[in-house]
Amino acid sequence: MSDAVIEMEGVGKRFTKYDDRPTLFNALRLQRRTTRSHLWAVRGVDMEIQRGESVGVLGRNGAGKSTMLQMLAGVTAPTEGLVRVRGRVAPLISVGVGFHPELTGRENVYVNGTVLGMDRATVDRRFDDIVGFAELEKFIDTPVKFYSSGMFVRLGFAVAVEAEPDILLIDEILAVGDFNFQLRCFERMEAIRGNGTTLVVVSHNLNAVRGFCDRTVLLNQGQKVFDGPTFEGIGRYYQILGQAPREEDDEALPGETGRERDTLEILGFELHSAAGRPTAHLHSGDEGVFRVHVRALRDVTDPFVGFTIASESGVAVYSDTNRMTLFPSLLAGESATIDIKMRMSLAPGGFTASSSVHRAQGEGSVLLARAEPVQFFVSGRGMASGVADLGGQFSLERTP
Amino acid sequence: MRGGSAEGFELRGPSTPLGTLLADLWRARKVLVVLARKDFYARYRRTMFGMLWAVFLPLLQATVLAIVFTKIVHLATVVHRTNGAHVSFPVFIYSGIAAWSFFSTNMPSAATAIVDSGGLARKIYFPRALFPLLVVTTGLYPFVIGLGVLLAMKLALQHSVTVDFFWVIPGALLTVAITAGFGLVLSALHVYFRDVRYIVQAVMSVLFYLSPIIYAVQSAPGALRHVVGYGPMAGPIEFMRLATGGADSNWPATVGVGVGWFVVTAGIGMWLQSKYDRVFVDLM
Repeated sequence: MSDAVIEMEGVGKRFTKYDDRPTLFNALRLQRRTTRSHLWAVRGVDMEIQRGESVGVLGRNGAGKSTMLQMLAGVTAPTEGLVRVRGRVAPLISVGVGFHPELTGRENVYVNGTVLGMDRATVDRRFDDIVGFAELEKFIDTPVKFYSSGMFVRLGFAVAVEAEPDILLIDEILAVGDFNFQLRCFERMEAIRGNGTTLVVVSHNLNAVRGFCDRTVLLNQGQKVFDGPTFEGIGRYYQILGQAPREEDDEALPGETGRERDTLEILGFELHSAAGRPTAHLHSGDEGVFRVHVRALRDVTDPFVGFTIASESGVAVYSDTNRMTLFPSLLAGESATIDIKMRMSLAPGGFTASSSVHRAQGEGSVLLARAEPVQFFVSGRGMASGVADLGGQFSLERTP
Repeated sequence: MRGGSAEGFELRGPSTPLGTLLADLWRARKVLVVLARKDFYARYRRTMFGMLWAVFLPLLQATVLAIVFTKIVHLATVVHRTNGAHVSFPVFIYSGIAAWSFFSTNMPSAATAIVDSGGLARKIYFPRALFPLLVVTTGLYPFVIGLGVLLAMKLALQHSVTVDFFWVIPGALLTVAITAGFGLVLSALHVYFRDVRYIVQAVMSVLFYLSPIIYAVQSAPGALRHVVGYGPMAGPIEFMRLATGGADSNWPATVGVGVGWFVVTAGIGMWLQSKYDRVFVDLM
């Protein structure tokens, strides 16, 4: 028997955008009606989530993720279709919501606990755990207005997870708090996942989705475009990111003197693991090979490649070219494989690799072709974070 | 492994069936009490006299009015009623003030309660009707204090209290009910029409003089008497006057109008709330 805790059938949510807000005058027809336009934030979504499942919801900004989460929280109702939720939902997006600055941490724990569906006896029982998890034993009787933002978030998270909902909705929350606390949050979430709580994670943080979710739902422009295993979903997500409207003529390489079509075509550009298999996922520190397949349409003298890896936020992590050590020339009709092999000393996260083929011309160069960017992600060993994993060695030696 | 829970919800389209809304409200009653207590503590924390302010403010208002009308405008210090009773003027005024001040302080905040709840309402679901009701609940404590002040004044100035004083109970209930009714209607409208906040303020300042607070319904001249008698607060105030021995002879009619106000506002209010409960947030 199916044990669905969340069901969505043909769900659509339409927002009305008023070009000027409704006022009493408009309503009383004293003024010409306001111009308004409609926007479907979510449309035609069917989805079923079983008890104990962990599902990630991915999508670009404005794809309808937040609207979907709001509907699952029951905060807003669909314009069409059916949303059915069985069990108590606690949105982790509500961390600290309802905290009153004048009240002490202790008082706020009771208020917030009740808001999240705990009764007084339950809060009494879990009070020490909550405070312990938040590490606020010393400050629990201080008004929360004196708390740092980190303390505030810790207490909010601690109450939310102790509320033990049947369904936990997680927004970007894991991005806050100091690193140690984040780590403990992750551990806690693992434990929650283990005891049958259903998790729905909406996050741009692909590590969070990858870490917690077996299944991923991908939204694009309000429609569900993918629903399946997370590793596949993340790949599809990257495809959608790649489809983002890009500058047709992106920036030229320094020294670029011209562009030529019909001289060379790129047949493929992919990332291979050290074992030689195409992949979109590497471990930090693994060896990786970026392979560019090209075919010369005319004779190409002095070809070389340009290559860049950029982080999820668009920061160039590594950019290189063999401009100074050119490849041998190619004859018309010849095909070739260009390998760019490197140790992927990257910190966990998503990255984009792009490459282009050029030919040298005197001091300058001519762009021949640009490959479709490849998206891949790197998972970490240990605790390294940032952009690069420089493999620091930690040691201590007692000095006499 | 957690077992199935009876909680959950089913959403089909924007409006909520009234029965579902009422059941959800009933389920949220504990939250209402806890939030009301929180707002209440937060309101008086860090004030030197704390909750004494709840006693002092209405007392001050009654004293000022009594001095103005007896010493400056030279009205009688005792109001003679058609039923032969006579009531000390401060007690007479204060019996009106007790009901009015609950209405006039809580109704405007109840009217903006849904929008003002902001963060909480956007993140987590409670029936939105909870927010105006929360304002009304939070106001109960100062109201009870105010009624205690009324009792004290009656003892001090008239040296007698009869069993009639129990009329304050239906009086208080009707005051709270009407305030809640208006809160339900206006808080829903305010989400869509932000003018409501200012309209309420304007109406309240006029309504003070059109309510039988500093005078009796029957002492209003001619046509104005009907306006005053049909006002939303006339009914509750008449109950308070019954409690202090200064009611008009046709109080049942005035009280009936008051009950009517409650039935109409609560009816329209719950209808609006059930229609828009789960879509208010889209406009916040």
